[in-house]
Amino acid sequence: MPVLETIQEAVANGRPKDVERQIRQALEQGLPAEQILEEALIPAMREAGEHYRNNECDIPRILSAARSMRKGLQILEPFLEKSGETNRGTIVLGTVEGDLHDVGKNLVAIMFRSAGFKVIDLGVDVSEKQFLKAVRENPEVKLVCISSLLTTSMPEMRQVVRSLRNAKDLPPLKIMVGGGSVNQQFAEEIGADAYTETAVDAAEWAKSFVL
Amino acid sequence: MAEYTVFFPREKKQISVEEGTNLLEAQIQAGLHPNAPCGGQGKCGKCLVRVLRPGQEAQVVKACCEKVTGDVTVETLEKEELHVLTEGVAQLGGLSPELRRLHLQLPSRRDHWELSEWERLCLALEEAGVPAEDGTVAEETVDGVAEPGSGARKPDLRVARLLARAGGNRDGELTVVMSGSRVLDLWEGAGGDRRLLAAAFDIGTTSIAGYLLDVESGEQLATDSAMNPQVSFGADVIQRADYALAGGLEELSRCVRREIDAMLGRLCEKGGARREDVYQVSLVGNSCMHHLFLGLLPESLVHAPYQPVFREAIRIPADSVGIHAGEGAEMLWLPLIAGFVGADTVGGLLATRLGEEEPLTLLIDIGTNGELVLGNRDRRIACSTAAGPALEGAKISCGMRGADGAIEHVQVENGQLRCQVIGGGRAVGICGSGLIDAIASLLEVGALDESGRLEGNGQQDGQPVYYLTQPDAEGPGVSLSQRDIREVQLAKGAIAAGIHLLAERLEVRLEDVERVYLAGAFGTYLNPESACRIGLIPGELRGRLQAVGNAAGEGAKQVVRQREAMERAQKLAAETEFLELASLPQFQDAFVDELEFPEGL
Repeated sequence: MPVLETIQEAVANGRPKDVERQIRQALEQGLPAEQILEEALIPAMREAGEHYRNNECDIPRILSAARSMRKGLQILEPFLEKSGETNRGTIVLGTVEGDLHDVGKNLVAIMFRSAGFKVIDLGVDVSEKQFLKAVRENPEVKLVCISSLLTTSMPEMRQVVRSLRNAKDLPPLKIMVGGGSVNQQFAEEIGADAYTETAVDAAEWAKSFVL
Repeated sequence: MAEYTVFFPREKKQISVEEGTNLLEAQIQAGLHPNAPCGGQGKCGKCLVRVLRPGQEAQVVKACCEKVTGDVTVETLEKEELHVLTEGVAQLGGLSPELRRLHLQLPSRRDHWELSEWERLCLALEEAGVPAEDGTVAEETVDGVAEPGSGARKPDLRVARLLARAGGNRDGELTVVMSGSRVLDLWEGAGGDRRLLAAAFDIGTTSIAGYLLDVESGEQLATDSAMNPQVSFGADVIQRADYALAGGLEELSRCVRREIDAMLGRLCEKGGARREDVYQVSLVGNSCMHHLFLGLLPESLVHAPYQPVFREAIRIPADSVGIHAGEGAEMLWLPLIAGFVGADTVGGLLATRLGEEEPLTLLIDIGTNGELVLGNRDRRIACSTAAGPALEGAKISCGMRGADGAIEHVQVENGQLRCQVIGGGRAVGICGSGLIDAIASLLEVGALDESGRLEGNGQQDGQPVYYLTQPDAEGPGVSLSQRDIREVQLAKGAIAAGIHLLAERLEVRLEDVERVYLAGAFGTYLNPESACRIGLIPGELRGRLQAVGNAAGEGAKQVVRQREAMERAQKLAAETEFLELASLPQFQDAFVDELEFPEGL
């Protein structure tokens, strides 16, 4: 089997060790990192996402695919040219202050990357100030995504949305919220532009908005 | 606004509520304790009631989504008989309670005409060898007055009032109830029929277990259990915290204190004892239960870095928190380890002696949250995992608590699943231990693959489900859906990942863990084979699992049975390290690794 296909399969099946080994092999064979990313990792994640949407695979499966993807990206990153070609836009992402949970957020980050976005992941326990700072420092940012798992962190989420909206010096931004504690109703109430239930939908929404 | 009458025929209660009140709130206002795992968001569908409106057919509805728009009769559905684990198999050790009674002979008035009644008591205590209370210093004495010596203590008005009644210049015998060096109660004479009792409670997120002990004989007089009345405000600690932060703190505090007081009454009734003989009440519970009971706003608990308001053990007058017990009775809360590892875990450490023995031991207490401690007397690390209420049956479509009608065990016989039901009757749902068995059995018969994909034997709403018992004329069968399986995968992945990461942090191999103690009801009824089969507990630990019952409750009992226990608890809590899994970069990988079911043997 051609090496790109084996990589794709290893990602889709959540076998990070195989992914790492095969990517190294492919690089040694002289395949460009961009090609490995575009023709193996991203289609694998898309495929996993599609299966997920069709209820053919589930959170555990997609999480393990995402992890393989991440391992693969770590190897590829030094080899990737910072070209704007595949960049659909820049997204700032983080788990809100007071919350340390990031499993869902990391999955969303991977799905965005697979969809061709540049992702600035601020990590967990991200304060309102940090969100604002990230947007100011990266004026090309088009979308800010805020995640929280604990319902007790919902007030902070509301606050971040409010101050992003009120900051006069920022370009127009779309704001997406997600995570275990959030639903559509809450998203609307706090003035977010979008809420999606799954990471796959989040990437789809981002694409539709950017294009 | 208009008011309407809501009548609850089963409980024979009637209240009037404002128009627009929902039926969940109405039940709470009527003093009922409805079960509402999702906190009344209309999500879980566990608060069903039958509504009868004049001229309309009876309707089964979610209480939280149904508003009062006129007079209405509400039948609560079959009340689950709750099976709460009150047994423990801890090593109780000897009996050396802090509580004791002293028979004192007050120094005679003829020889000590110059002493006040208080000074006479102090002298008598000194002669009996009781050290002065901590922190009290002997006051300078006026010339010519007999030296009260090291027994001097500052007058305590409450005790002085008792003394004024009992002493009265007579040279009689006095009985003093002491807790350590503190005087709690005293009376004239021997008080032949008085007893020294103590109560211990384990306040769980879902249920409360209570015990009544005679600390002089060591005998356990009664046990009792009840639902935590806070279940009406949500199933898990985060929902409770939410409610408290939204202004409901006092309500949550009050309802649980009231329940503890009521349980104390029932314990005394069952044990043929009197409330006024109960001089100590010890409590354990997770950090959120601790904060809510004590009226501490749990803000810091639920916001990173998830720290409690304070973690030390405390001792306060029982009547200050609404517990009606003996004169001067004390209430003790065991210390906490961290925001999500509470006094219940410390109780478990006390009871199992995990922190005081050499063998490397893992303590697993799976309740609404899962707490884990790995270590031995040299070093211990604790963590908390988001086991979530899934393993207790909440979030599972047919899930229920361990009550009559719950499938508690499932096994495979000749390729067929066979279910064992609590109470022996018709199965109406499945509880945690049954759920783990069922999944192990589905893996065995091939209806589930390692990734957790379910091959159903039926359908519901177009989705595959696996019927454990078939639906028939009498009702729907008990089934598991794909979503149920996923919930269990997430819960068991979190616990198993927690176990691996503790071992990693402690730099030990799982193979070297000598004992695994399973605490709590879930741990007791859990089939260890099934738990290892589905990977809830890593296979390396197979064969070393041992149920220890309600270890937290045993720890609470030890504190009233042994005077050194509180100090031990304090030391165990202070010296147990806490590992915050959510902030570990390895957590996600370990969690994902553990989501799948292990391949067959």
